[in-house]
Amino acid sequence: MLIVPAVGFGLATASYVALASVGFTLQAGVTNIFNFAYGDIMITAAFVAYVVNRAGGGLWEILIVGAATGAVVSVAFNRLLFRRFVRHGINPFGMLIVTLWAGIILQNILLALFGPQFFSLSVSSGRLFDFFGPRGILLTSVQIISIGLAVAAVLIVAIGLRYTRVGMAMRALATNPNLAQSSGVPARKILDYTWVVSGIFCGLGGVVLALATGAFEQTTGEEFLVIIFAATVLGGVGRPVGAAVASLVLGIVIEVSALFIPPSLKELVAFAVLLAVLVIRPSGLFSLAKEGAEVAVV
Amino acid sequence: MSAIDLYATTLLVYFGVDVLAAWGLNLQYGLYGMYNFAFILFQSAGAYTAAILALGHPSNQFGGQQYFFGASLPFPLPIIVAGLVASVLGLAIALILRQGMRSDYQAIVTFVIAVMALLTVSAIIPLFNGQAGLSQVPQPLASALHVSSAGYAWIYVAFVAIVCLISYVIIRRLMGSPLGRAVRAVRENANGAAALGVNATWCRIVVSVLGAAMAGVSGALLVEFIGTWSPGSWSYAETLVIFSAIIVGGVGNNIGVLIGVFVTQIIFAEGSRFLPTSLPPNLVGSLQWIVIGVMTLAFLWFRPQGIVPEKRYCVPAAPAGERRIAAEQAEPAAVAGRPFVSGEGEQ
Repeated sequence: MLIVPAVGFGLATASYVALASVGFTLQAGVTNIFNFAYGDIMITAAFVAYVVNRAGGGLWEILIVGAATGAVVSVAFNRLLFRRFVRHGINPFGMLIVTLWAGIILQNILLALFGPQFFSLSVSSGRLFDFFGPRGILLTSVQIISIGLAVAAVLIVAIGLRYTRVGMAMRALATNPNLAQSSGVPARKILDYTWVVSGIFCGLGGVVLALATGAFEQTTGEEFLVIIFAATVLGGVGRPVGAAVASLVLGIVIEVSALFIPPSLKELVAFAVLLAVLVIRPSGLFSLAKEGAEVAVV
Repeated sequence: MSAIDLYATTLLVYFGVDVLAAWGLNLQYGLYGMYNFAFILFQSAGAYTAAILALGHPSNQFGGQQYFFGASLPFPLPIIVAGLVASVLGLAIALILRQGMRSDYQAIVTFVIAVMALLTVSAIIPLFNGQAGLSQVPQPLASALHVSSAGYAWIYVAFVAIVCLISYVIIRRLMGSPLGRAVRAVRENANGAAALGVNATWCRIVVSVLGAAMAGVSGALLVEFIGTWSPGSWSYAETLVIFSAIIVGGVGNNIGVLIGVFVTQIIFAEGSRFLPTSLPPNLVGSLQWIVIGVMTLAFLWFRPQGIVPEKRYCVPAAPAGERRIAAEQAEPAAVAGRPFVSGEGEQ
């Protein structure tokens, strides 16, 4: 049977979907901004990782550089664009136009700098580990590292949101920004933290995505964004564990469905699920009611 | 055909087509407040429909193009059917984006639909020849008219202009009609409009179907002139450019939208002339996108109502003079002409 190896592929796919969507769900949940530039920031991190990789950086170096790039670009976008437009009194739809254009501008900067071609990171995929016998699940050490990173990311965000002071402040801001601010939550600082943390996962996700897909170009992140949306919305916006579970389901569904339909259409299954959920239950499967939540003005 | 003729007619046809599409989106977004990022799908559906209805049976193709169905219908029929097919899609979108859905969720739903459609059409080659797209679509009446290629191109420009003019008359009448006022009322205050007996679903269906039909006709007009259509022509970024044209020109104002299309098109068509010729071609392409993006952000920041803002519509409440003055004084701050302001036009 090919199902078991496909589940193995699904686990590897789920790991980078989870890594990216944990960051996205935190960002969207706390700031109430749907950042359409997220995929483009991911791929920017991958391009910076590519430069470091060419200069001789190994796996850990490019992961660190990618995480740093994600954090820096995310915070810069928030400080230079998003926060200012929120203070300017823009409505959620106007904000979407802003993030979409921010993403397209970033894409075109990458296109101008690197040119229209595919790039790949050359990192040795390490040794192979096989689970459940010779016809079972086969994973490279890079894939195991990415699964480890995804698990760590989910745990950090879930536990951090629940038990730390910063996490509680983030949840307070997400639920009611005005009340949180008048109760003494330093909104500007907490939102900056949110952009840094989600940016780190965004950057890591970008590097792991680039490693997993083999070849990437400046539009790879934007195409991947729909899968991140799927995981985030299925899991419920602002719920890291939900996003992780949804990523696992989506990853396995995508890879197993590739056995039955043309592989170029495998993502369609995930999108169809997302569409059904969005139309029938927009707040997500596991979400608390979050419709009409406000964006914090800082 | 001389280079000038070719350049001018192509530019004018693109301009007319884009204006038609932007007016359609302006109906959906400017008049009603639908947040539809799948708008380019209507244009694309129109273009593909017109192409397969003009190309003839698939077995006659020499280029090895694959597509389903295929017929060679006489001249106006492919364009009309294209409008009908697009309007069916418009009906579907209107029913999916039901009343009360948060604006960013509407945008995400339609964004996902657009990405899915692009992926499907690119991957399934027997549908519309996949990534390569359809080409060699014959120009309508090219042999029957007995004119030079330049003369034909100018006649086509005139034809596009006439279609634009007819569409303008239709949307103007719609916007000024009681139905148009009802649509605007739903945009400003959906609950208030519902309390007055306005059926929001019906309003949404009307603007969505009409807007989609205009986009479908625009796609058909374009494909019958340039002869090709492929997935590269309708990425979601194309929808964003139409949104930018509306934002720059003036949300809800048809003349403003026309100016906005003109401005964005000048950047795409002529922008490269202001750059040094030594730049590599892909850099020029990216700079054009960056310029349109920065321009849109600047308009959202400094002048969200656009170059020509939407007119304030004041309807006299009653013939009696005093009551009329009272009604005008009691009117809340103008919302028309102030898009993108938080808390207004939402739900």
